[in-house]
Amino acid sequence: MILWEILKMAASALRVNKLRTSLTLLGIIIGVSSVITIISALDGLQQSIESELEVLGPSTFIVTKFGIIMSEEAFLEALKRKPLKYEYVEAVKKGCDLCTEVAADVDTRAEVKYREKKMSNVHLEGGSANLLNIIDIQLDQGRFFSEEEDHSRRRVAFIGSALQEELFPGLDPIGKTIKINNTKFEIIGIAKKRGSTFNDNADAIAIIPYNTFTKYFGDSRRSTDIVIKAASVEMVQPAMDQVRVVLRAMRHVPYDKEDDFGIVTADAIMAALNDITKYLRMGLVGISSIALIVGGIIIMNIMMVSVTERTREIGIRKSIGARQKDVLIQFMYESLILSMTGGVIGIAIGVILGKVLISLMNFNMTPSLSAIMIGLAISTGVGLFFGIYPAMKAARLMPVKALSYE
Amino acid sequence: MPLIETRDVWKTYQMGTVQVNALMGITIAIEKGDYVAIMGPSGSGKSTLMNLIGCLDTPTKGEYYLAGSRVSELEDDELARIRNKQIGFVFQTFNLMPRASAFHNVELPLIYNGTPKDIRHEKVIRAMTSVDLADRMNHRPNELSGGQRQRVAIARALVNEPSLLLADEPTGNLDTKTGQEIMNLFSRLHKEGNTIIIVTHEREVATFARRILMIRDGQIESDEVVSETEKLANGTKL
Repeated sequence: MILWEILKMAASALRVNKLRTSLTLLGIIIGVSSVITIISALDGLQQSIESELEVLGPSTFIVTKFGIIMSEEAFLEALKRKPLKYEYVEAVKKGCDLCTEVAADVDTRAEVKYREKKMSNVHLEGGSANLLNIIDIQLDQGRFFSEEEDHSRRRVAFIGSALQEELFPGLDPIGKTIKINNTKFEIIGIAKKRGSTFNDNADAIAIIPYNTFTKYFGDSRRSTDIVIKAASVEMVQPAMDQVRVVLRAMRHVPYDKEDDFGIVTADAIMAALNDITKYLRMGLVGISSIALIVGGIIIMNIMMVSVTERTREIGIRKSIGARQKDVLIQFMYESLILSMTGGVIGIAIGVILGKVLISLMNFNMTPSLSAIMIGLAISTGVGLFFGIYPAMKAARLMPVKALSYE
Repeated sequence: MPLIETRDVWKTYQMGTVQVNALMGITIAIEKGDYVAIMGPSGSGKSTLMNLIGCLDTPTKGEYYLAGSRVSELEDDELARIRNKQIGFVFQTFNLMPRASAFHNVELPLIYNGTPKDIRHEKVIRAMTSVDLADRMNHRPNELSGGQRQRVAIARALVNEPSLLLADEPTGNLDTKTGQEIMNLFSRLHKEGNTIIIVTHEREVATFARRILMIRDGQIESDEVVSETEKLANGTKL
């Protein structure tokens, strides 16, 4: 009740000096919007990476020659490793009872042609027939290839929706013959659209049988990735241990040496990326926060000026019965109105700028609720932090001195 | 029991390294319903005394009782409560909120004690009517004459029905004729039962009161009752 009346007084005090109020707002708007822009851009980046990694489920892991490399020395060391061989797939199937699915996977970039149309830089994968049971690619039309087709090295291809749109506009691609790096393949199935992430179109993909891949595009030095699905999320770790035992034995790794291969999970990739970008993110948020602090200092400065200018007004209020608390609340309201109004405008601008930035980088994002919450929280925090000192100064003025102030 | 009672009240200011005694052992008693003028030349300590009586300040030494309760040792917020409920101030420079309407100026003391809106409205209208300004409620101070401004200030002082009306040179910024009108208003308010204390350096203004306390160099010099002759001379409507 009394708080509401004091809020009205605070609002009308701010309306008196419109130019000053809007300049003060500007400081906070710039501060909040720059922080929000950065946070929502980083958020968008994170979301995009996560959706990219969703193709690997939580119980899936991949054994590769390199694993996740975090330093140059580790990379040079890993270069010396022998490639992973196809035989390991069978060995893992036998030696790992916690692995429900084990598939071989190799990949390269290829050019795909249909009559005069062509699409280059297509992600070409050679995989086992059970690959779709492990990674999150859905069947849309037709079928995936069978184990039999894999063994007999049939030239059949399962393509992504981007290839369909690019090479077969308005046509049914099933049964049509395409050329992958000048070798003819028959299309047997199409994958559901996944959407693009980063600059990479996840739908510009063609999957052919593993053994067909090695026959036509093979290279003895190419390492074969082993894609594995564990019985459950809890079983991932024990399954990995079983796989390591099998592979160490097959690759004759001495008991006192480390693995000469790596294991990759979605979580591990995310953690590695976060680790790499941690300081970058902290730095960006830190730099943009400087604007926010400057905005806060502007509020504080203006409130100090305002308290001095209105010393007499404060004296009058006190002489007719305003308590310290009433004066304190009035001035806190004023700085909070400033910072929160600036905050709301800043959030709006920040979200828009963040979206523009994201779309320039060519990936999708949903407006981040966390950015909005953070924006509101920091602008409130700035108002409270930088408003408290001037408000206390006002509240503690002695009525006699304040009344005689000229 | 007197409404106001001070016992050996001292007020000492520290000016750099020098101590200045603004009040040196003031002992006075003012009854409820009285009309008293505190008179003295500038620098005599009369404003300091008014600030103490008005609970805007606390004495360095001595005791002050207002309506029987000892206020000389109260905290800031308790003093604010007393200023709000018990004391109505009228200042030489009016001290109105320049950007607020007359209505809002008079309403302000009621807001600070949490009076509900409808009751506030009623009380403001009553106070504005009693100073004959019911038709100027939505005017801002700069749209009013000096006398009207002072009447708004008086309405603000009266709105909480205080036990004491405290006026500091209320005619100091007004011409003679308007000053006379304001003093007549005080006389009327006194007749209606209000206790009034006026601080002034002008004998003519002081004679409107029933009793004059002369103060000089921080001490009470004389305490006299104003004679009928003097009352007639200043034109008080008896």
